[in-house]
Amino acid sequence: MPVIELSHISKRFGKFVAVNDVSFTVEKGEFFGFIGPNGAGKSTTMNMMLNFIKSSGGKIKLLGKNVPEHDLDVKKQIGYVPSDVRFYPQLRVRDLFCYTLDFHHMKGDSAELKRYCDLFQIDPQKKFGDLSLGNKKKVALVCALIHHPELIIMDEPTNGLDPLIHARLFRVLKEKQEQGVTIFLSSHNLKEVEDYCSRIAFIRSGKLIGVEDLTQVNQNVKVITVKADQLPIAVMEKIGATCVKKTDHEARFAYEGNMAQLFSTLSNLSPQLDDVTVANRDLEEQFMAMYERQEGERL
Amino acid sequence: MTLFRLECKTHCKTLLIWMIVVGILTLGLVSLFPAMKDMGLDQMKAMPKDMMKAFNLSDLGMLTTIKGYFGYEYQYVMLATGIFAAMLGTNALSREESEGTISYLFSQPISRIAIVGEKMLANTVLYTLYWLVSMAIAYLVCLMFKETGASVSDLFDGFTQLTFAGWVMGLTFLSVGFLLSAFLSSNKSATSLSLGLVFLTFILGVVGKMNNDFKGLLYASPVDAALPSTIFKSGIEWNYIVIDLVVIVVAGLLTFWIYRRKDLNV
Ligand SMILES: Nc1ncnc2c1ncn2[C@@H]1O[C@H](COP(=O)(O)OP(=O)(O)OP(=O)(O)O)[C@@H](O)[C@H]1O
Ligand SMILES: [Mg+2]
Repeated sequence: MPVIELSHISKRFGKFVAVNDVSFTVEKGEFFGFIGPNGAGKSTTMNMMLNFIKSSGGKIKLLGKNVPEHDLDVKKQIGYVPSDVRFYPQLRVRDLFCYTLDFHHMKGDSAELKRYCDLFQIDPQKKFGDLSLGNKKKVALVCALIHHPELIIMDEPTNGLDPLIHARLFRVLKEKQEQGVTIFLSSHNLKEVEDYCSRIAFIRSGKLIGVEDLTQVNQNVKVITVKADQLPIAVMEKIGATCVKKTDHEARFAYEGNMAQLFSTLSNLSPQLDDVTVANRDLEEQFMAMYERQEGERL
Repeated sequence: MTLFRLECKTHCKTLLIWMIVVGILTLGLVSLFPAMKDMGLDQMKAMPKDMMKAFNLSDLGMLTTIKGYFGYEYQYVMLATGIFAAMLGTNALSREESEGTISYLFSQPISRIAIVGEKMLANTVLYTLYWLVSMAIAYLVCLMFKETGASVSDLFDGFTQLTFAGWVMGLTFLSVGFLLSAFLSSNKSATSLSLGLVFLTFILGVVGKMNNDFKGLLYASPVDAALPSTIFKSGIEWNYIVIDLVVIVVAGLLTFWIYRRKDLNV
């Protein structure tokens, strides 16, 4: 049974269409990334999933239940980290944890809480309003974890975290995932998405551009960078390479094909080239290409 | 009832401050009574009759008794009470959105109905506490400064009625405030709306009193339903109370209805 099921959801703010006919599903136990440029509609989509805002069309099912009709049941099983963490500033951190557990009618396990506080280096005696950006984020993360949710939804959770805490957070998330918890996160940090997510959805201008399985992404794609006064674009395209970037004296090609053919072509060209490198294409670069691609183009 | 507790905790300081300020104000006003009583009121007789009516001061002789004096002076505290109640209401829902705390609150397993309900309950309790304490202080202060010969049981009767009528008045402002709060997505304008709401309805009442053609406007003024001078003179006017109760119920139901459908600003 899918944990997240979005079918044809849209959101209009007046005339502006922030989310346009987005559909995808996330299975139980997946580590799912939701990426896209600023203003793409990621937060808006998440806000609809949590019933902060009503969708203008389409159906949302979380944990097998329709939202917003059953959002109370669903929220018992959800941990949510908002992108802008603004909790009650006058409360102490430990009170925030207590209130969170109270809302879930749970007693809470003080040993577990202490473990999180030590792990994330949180001082529970401090007032929330006095914390720094990163520390606020950490408190929000703990609030999203302490009630043992089935689904963790995070909107740019790592924004503001130092590298040590960042690593520890993902260790915890990975642990949770291994226990069958589903993790859905939006992020601008492509490295963490590449390292941890098994699938990603890419959204731009409110439209879903594609859903990619990162475990099966073709690793055979090579990136060839050539430097020359006369760029051999035509020759390269003839053997099936596509030019992805071009300046006056440098061109970059993506190539997926016979390596012998590639090398013979390159050696024929070598007298006129100043420099050539052949490398494996990494995902970050692939994502970057998606950000750069023009509107309307498919993945 | 977690939100109920959270709401009470958030407001307990404000509540305390209002109780102290209003308590001191009451003490200050009433302590002037012995001096005022012996002062000649002749200059005031020169005021036009309509004007006196507007200030709820039609019978100057009343000012020589504690009931009359208190009844006149305390109407201004009634206005302040109305403002306090309206502010509790207008801030209640809108503040969560303007401070962004709604992104925490509504990600917890709590329905929108429960958010409105628990907030209404908490603010009603807070307001009731404020009003009971204020009335108790006022009653004790009046006992301290009353003229010789004033009947204690008569004063107590008057205060019981005023406590009830004033409570209903505050609840009316509170519930209309809640309704406004459900529309707002920020509490920036909450204070000015509260002041506007109380003064506007009060002025409607003044117009109603000055001009018989507009007598109906009196019903639009919750403060007039709990005017201490009127209540001390002729008891509670039940028509007013019934209208207030209708307003409370309608505004309350509308608040639930609107808040359920609203896009929360996060
Ligand atoms: N309440 C609103 N009224 C009008 N427009 C809105 C509203 N909320 C969001 N938008 C618009 O919808 C679009 C999508 O916004 P959203 O916050 O979902 O982007 P995002 O993908 O989360 O971006 P970021 O990476 O910057 O967080 C933006 O153009 C934004 O201006
Ligand atoms: Mg966002």
